[in-house]
Amino acid sequence: VNESTRPESYEKAVERLEEIIDRLDSGQAGLRETLELCREGRDLVEYCAAELDAVGEGLRELRLDEMAAKLEQAPATAAEREED
Amino acid sequence: MEEQLFQPPESAPDAPAAPADGPPQPGLPGPFAVGRYAAKLREELRKRARVQLIGEVAGLGRSRTQSYFELRDADGAVPCAIWLDDLEKLKLPEGALRDGAEIVVAGGPDYYPGSAQASPSFSFRVTHVRLAGEGDLLARLAALRKALEAEGLFELQKRLDRPALPRTIGVVTGERGAARRDLLAGLQRRGWRGTIVWGFAPVQDRHAAPAITRAVQDLAALPEVDVIAVARGGGSLADLWAFCDETLCRTVAMLRVPVVSAVGHERDRTLIDDVAAVACSTPTHAAEAVVPLDCGAARQGLDRCARGLERAAAGAVSGRARHLAALARGPQRALDRQRHALNQITREMRAASQRRVAERSDFQRRIAIVVLDRAQRRAHESVVRCAAENARSSAALERSARRALDRRRQALGRIGVTLRAHDPDRTLERGYVLAEAGDGEPLTSAAAADAANRFSLRFADGRLAARSEGPQEDE
Repeated sequence: VNESTRPESYEKAVERLEEIIDRLDSGQAGLRETLELCREGRDLVEYCAAELDAVGEGLRELRLDEMAAKLEQAPATAAEREED
Repeated sequence: MEEQLFQPPESAPDAPAAPADGPPQPGLPGPFAVGRYAAKLREELRKRARVQLIGEVAGLGRSRTQSYFELRDADGAVPCAIWLDDLEKLKLPEGALRDGAEIVVAGGPDYYPGSAQASPSFSFRVTHVRLAGEGDLLARLAALRKALEAEGLFELQKRLDRPALPRTIGVVTGERGAARRDLLAGLQRRGWRGTIVWGFAPVQDRHAAPAITRAVQDLAALPEVDVIAVARGGGSLADLWAFCDETLCRTVAMLRVPVVSAVGHERDRTLIDDVAAVACSTPTHAAEAVVPLDCGAARQGLDRCARGLERAAAGAVSGRARHLAALARGPQRALDRQRHALNQITREMRAASQRRVAERSDFQRRIAIVVLDRAQRRAHESVVRCAAENARSSAALERSARRALDRRRQALGRIGVTLRAHDPDRTLERGYVLAEAGDGEPLTSAAAADAANRFSLRFADGRLAARSEGPQEDE
């Protein structure tokens, strides 16, 4: 999936995929359109699979308080460096 | 003078003239002695209507004679005081009046003017206290709900797009609560194993609402967080009261990140449920709302999709090839059909033309019969006519022949007469003799007769043989 055709979101991609399948199932698409729809569909399937992979690799748990503490430390350290 | 202390300026008569050095605000009544003013103030305040207030106890303390605390809610607070005597008469359960308790107080405003040593203070003089019941909380909740709904705050979150497959989820819940465990289990059942940012907060005391509000705000500020869940197990309305906090609910309503609330059980309806994008009755439901997509099923669906696409791509070509082949057979079939139709038409035409020829020949035969009949009739008539004519002609001819015969007979007669005139016999009758040679040939000269020597002389009445003696000498 290149940048110009990258779907906005997983649901947009699935929505478009459903449209494509419906169109293909209708049997009304010409040969050229069918082949283009199949190519677009394969790209979308690839994108969706990548999105599913991204939330299927393993649960990662972060703590908001720790993240906030790090964020607070970071500017302080930067300020200290500036003072030095 | 006493009356002027608390009268509106326009109705305050006989204001003392301002001294020459001038007051800070010329034209106002006074200056009055402050002690008198303080006493009058207490008197005026005590005239205010006695009411009941509901709120949360904060900063509870006690002196020798009275108990004091602040009664608070999100919008403000009132300092309250109750004489210990009055408090004891109420026989409240031990520890009922404590910080964080939701109570209803009855009383009215009061003012302690202070003294030379003691500081003055304002307080709401409480004469009765009771713990806030479900009814009180429900009434407050109904009022808040009405106000927030009127401002359109219930709709804002519901208009947000919730991602079907968030990568990062923010969760606000108690660190050791069952809600945390249940939500995690629910997410795992959906096959979701992305990133969770836990915003742990107390979920049941007067610190809960501000902490939850802050956690929600901080999570929403993280750009990677796609959706936020606020979860807590069940409890009484008082236990869940933090989730009806006006500030928290206003904050949630205004967030640009969708919030899924999963507070309490099915029968508990807190205010955060109203403002959130989705309200769930259990952490399991919340997991489904936070990750609407069942990842396992989605993966299977995607595989089916991919196979369908491959089939469509392959089928598009082979199907069309078959179609083309069928089309290629089409013209032959069409030709056959046309040929068949043509043969049929030819047969029909032939039959029709035969019928027509028969009809026509029949017609012609009938015409011919009529024509021939007429011709025959005409011929017959003509024959009859001719016969008649012939008859007439033959009579005429006969007559004419007869006449011609007669004429010829007459001419013959005449010719006979003439002929007879020339007949030598007739000449002989008149006395002439004809010398003829033995063969009958006339001898027309003396020389011929002499040459013949012997000859015959024919007379009208008979013949005589003669002989020449030579020519005769003239005498």
